[in-house]
Amino acid sequence: MTELTTTPARTPKRRRPAGPRRNNVWIHLVLSIGAVVMMFPFVWQILMSLSTNAEVQSVTPHLWPAKIQWGNYAEVFRQLPFLDQLRTSVVITVIRVLGQIAFCTLAGYAFARMHFRGKNLVLGAVLSILMVPSQVYLLPQYQIIKDLGLLGTMTGLLLPGLFSAFGTFLMRTAFLALPSELEEAARLDGANPFQVFWHVMLPLIRPSISVLAITSTLWSWNELLWPLVVTTNSDDMPLSAGLATLINDRTVNYPIVLAASLLATAPVLILFIVLQRRVIDGLATSGMK
Amino acid sequence: MTTQLSRRNILAGALGLGVMITTAACGGDSDSGSDTAGAGYTEPSADLKAKLTYGVWDQTQVDAIQKNIDAFNQKYPGIEVAISVTPFAQYWTKLQTQASSDTLPDLFWMNGPNFQLYAGGKKIDPITGPVKAGAIDPANYPEALTSLYSLDGVQYGVPKDMDTIGVWINTEIFKKAKVDVPTADWTWDDFQTAATAISTALKSDGIYGGAGGMDGQTTYYNTIFEAGGSVVADGKSGYNTPQSQAGLQFWADLIASGGSPTIAQLTDTTADQWFTSGKLGMYWGGSWFRAALAGTDLEKSIQALPLPKGAQQATVIHGVANLVAANSQNKQAAHALQAYLVSQEAQQALGEAGSVIPAFTGTQAAFTKSMPDAGLQVFLDAVEYAKPLPVSANTAAWNAFETKLLPDAFSGSKPVADVTADLASQMDAALAKE
Amino acid sequence: MSSVTSPPRGAAPATTVRKRGLRRDGFWPWLFVAPLVGGVAVFFLWPIVQTAWFSLTEFGVFGGTTFTGLDNYKTLFQNGDLYKSIGNTLIYTVITLFNVPIAVVVASLLNTPGLRGAAVYRVLYFLPYVAMPTAVAMVWRIIFNGDFGVLNYVLGWFGIDGPYWISTPGAAIVAVSIVGLWSLIGFSVIVLGAGLKQIPPDLYEAAELDGASRLRQFRSITVPLLTPSIAFLSIVSVIQGFQMFDLLYAVLGTTNMNPTVFDSMSIVYLFYQAGFVTNEKGMAAAIAMVVLVLVALATVVQFRLQKKWVHLD
Repeated sequence: MTELTTTPARTPKRRRPAGPRRNNVWIHLVLSIGAVVMMFPFVWQILMSLSTNAEVQSVTPHLWPAKIQWGNYAEVFRQLPFLDQLRTSVVITVIRVLGQIAFCTLAGYAFARMHFRGKNLVLGAVLSILMVPSQVYLLPQYQIIKDLGLLGTMTGLLLPGLFSAFGTFLMRTAFLALPSELEEAARLDGANPFQVFWHVMLPLIRPSISVLAITSTLWSWNELLWPLVVTTNSDDMPLSAGLATLINDRTVNYPIVLAASLLATAPVLILFIVLQRRVIDGLATSGMK
Repeated sequence: MTTQLSRRNILAGALGLGVMITTAACGGDSDSGSDTAGAGYTEPSADLKAKLTYGVWDQTQVDAIQKNIDAFNQKYPGIEVAISVTPFAQYWTKLQTQASSDTLPDLFWMNGPNFQLYAGGKKIDPITGPVKAGAIDPANYPEALTSLYSLDGVQYGVPKDMDTIGVWINTEIFKKAKVDVPTADWTWDDFQTAATAISTALKSDGIYGGAGGMDGQTTYYNTIFEAGGSVVADGKSGYNTPQSQAGLQFWADLIASGGSPTIAQLTDTTADQWFTSGKLGMYWGGSWFRAALAGTDLEKSIQALPLPKGAQQATVIHGVANLVAANSQNKQAAHALQAYLVSQEAQQALGEAGSVIPAFTGTQAAFTKSMPDAGLQVFLDAVEYAKPLPVSANTAAWNAFETKLLPDAFSGSKPVADVTADLASQMDAALAKE
Repeated sequence: MSSVTSPPRGAAPATTVRKRGLRRDGFWPWLFVAPLVGGVAVFFLWPIVQTAWFSLTEFGVFGGTTFTGLDNYKTLFQNGDLYKSIGNTLIYTVITLFNVPIAVVVASLLNTPGLRGAAVYRVLYFLPYVAMPTAVAMVWRIIFNGDFGVLNYVLGWFGIDGPYWISTPGAAIVAVSIVGLWSLIGFSVIVLGAGLKQIPPDLYEAAELDGASRLRQFRSITVPLLTPSIAFLSIVSVIQGFQMFDLLYAVLGTTNMNPTVFDSMSIVYLFYQAGFVTNEKGMAAAIAMVVLVLVALATVVQFRLQKKWVHLD
């Protein structure tokens, strides 16, 4: 077994034989069964968003609506300032994702590859913020934003979300997995730590940065409680909060809520589909070692 | 007038600043001397300029509210009102956060169970002033309902809408089961008999006779009151009395007889879903259920009845009130809007918009006309014998015990008397902490 | 298993380099961490410090504290609900942790060279992760419905009489865990996909030349080299498992709607109930501190253990 893992470095690079093989059938079978389970609730959600509320509420499940109700989608646009909220969602998400990538890669690199007094203590403190219920932060953050005079502003809405302990941990893991030869070589060439980080190490963790981008996009896009608490006007709300206002206390129009949530999900899903080649296959070209 | 006004605004501002400083000094325990501010209300002049935020939780009412505000702006074009909708699930979390930081909306919705918490915490400006100035007359609203919004003899608001509980009947199911549709003077026994008869006759169709949401407001509070019991009285639990036990036994009997789906079935599929799916003959529900029926196939066969009579006739009444925040910088404008929204004119318009029943007596005709054949008048007639939703200073604390313990009594897994003894002692402990 | 624990020989020089590199980096690390740590301190650490203080007080609904020492903790530890909620949280955490092995299999299958439609599969597995939790919960409630749900219908084919999933104590927490597991797989597949891309293809080629089977390659190359990602995902899954709240709320409903919630409560639900429903904020703060200590312990244990099995170059 040890034998297996020792030889490779010297083996000349060669494409693995591509194309279908006999056991790919089994792979497809396994993956398809899994995919059906994964997508089933989602497909049902689409069908229900095109049904009447009576059909959705009916105790014998209607898989297929008697008549396709496209009007549910029109109703979402009537009830919500959808485009305003979409814009807010996009703006706060872009800024937070960029902020998280900048702050988390820097800090993650330091935690993974640098040596300084109290490193583990600081890392532990940063990680500890993942360990208490997130509602703990609601009131203190609200009061800080209020004291800064930022209530009702977009800055106030997005500010706490610029800092992510999860992202730092993810970036630290990515940097930890890298070999140290390149870094050392660059250092010997006289590059300062930031140059090493920027020119040598950062490009190597592009796939992990993509993962951070995806997770922080989704987190920011779906965040609910904080935007509901700090915004007052529906025009200033992001989509996640806006569509929550459709869920009434007593009489919920489920198809409308489901239609709205599909509309809200669509942009991130399209983004993922478009980016996935770059995102997932990102490193194939960037050259390991 | 204008100069006087602005001087008062400056004074109010200075006072506000002072309050903020004291508040900060004593760690957020605020006492803004709101009574005096509320008492000094005079109707503002038409050119008063202010920006108000109005916090609500129901998106479906926004159109109707906006109409009210447009009419208000005819009179006060300088008062801008922004409606802020937060869904009910997050509304109270947000309100608490805002109250703790003294950033409550100028005017906001309040319900009975939460009112005393905010009034006791000095977060609300009373309506003493507007009442004295003649802008609001509490006598125009159901008495049981206005009593929900007074604490220690001070009135903080009046209801803007109301709801009572009745029984919604699907006459089609009665026809199919060959059971006579009951009449308005029915009793508990009539209800139980009809429920079991339907369940037995239509068992093969999976149809049940009668059920409720198994929450206090629409089910067991009503039967407790009808049996002559009480939920909370004089700071004590009223559960451990023979009357209250009889009120709970009603539901245990109904489930045991098979007249209703089981508790587990009612959790997986709520009673209103059973009803709207045509699988339930009688549903104990609020007047608000009308919205779920209007425009459906079911609408034609719907009939509303008053609750069946126990030892006495009763129903639970509840309604939402608009309250002015004690920390509002625009109290005069906020009180003016508050008063307008419960005026006869605004209430009439609210009723015609159709989503809720306005609370102003005599403005409710639109509600009954919305489903003219269903006999919705019973929900309005119920006001006469209605009892307010039981509340206390920290209602949620003992509500939690109810929802935790009572299902065992309903499902029959524990005798009602055992459960009420346990519930009463836990509830008394919670009430003692208030 | 020797290949898992001992690094490949080719990496040996790196280890010595790292040893040589054991130096202090002066002020640079602080520059790197400053922006993050600054924001974290203001917006997150300070609230935790406040919470620690509040846990020793009786905290008014709208502020104002009375110092009560350890009273909240005493009441809390005498309360059976705490232990029940910890038990439920552990059940949830353990079940959802299975997302990691499932994702390892899925991600490496997706990484099969020349696999057609891999991009489509990736999107499909990713769907549950993007879907809005509230909408997803609505659908799952219908699937779990005891009388009319699809799940019990399918179980019926095998002669199994399924329970009322969301209203039977014991079954409810399993139902919530299934949804949690379902929604986490997509995320883990993405993370592992990135990890797989960092494995040099030459390793597989060499293995193939040596005549190693796919399964053998999976066990001796894929899994060991994925261990950093696997460790990361395990830690994150455990941390998230302990924070479970929204899902329980969304799938089971509120305590008003579903009495089973009391039996299925997670520890953060207990916190939420005390802090925002029954208005015992001091008690809520104490629960938050208990959560912090439990998760911190679990994480430290995992960090310790991972030194034994994680393959780091």
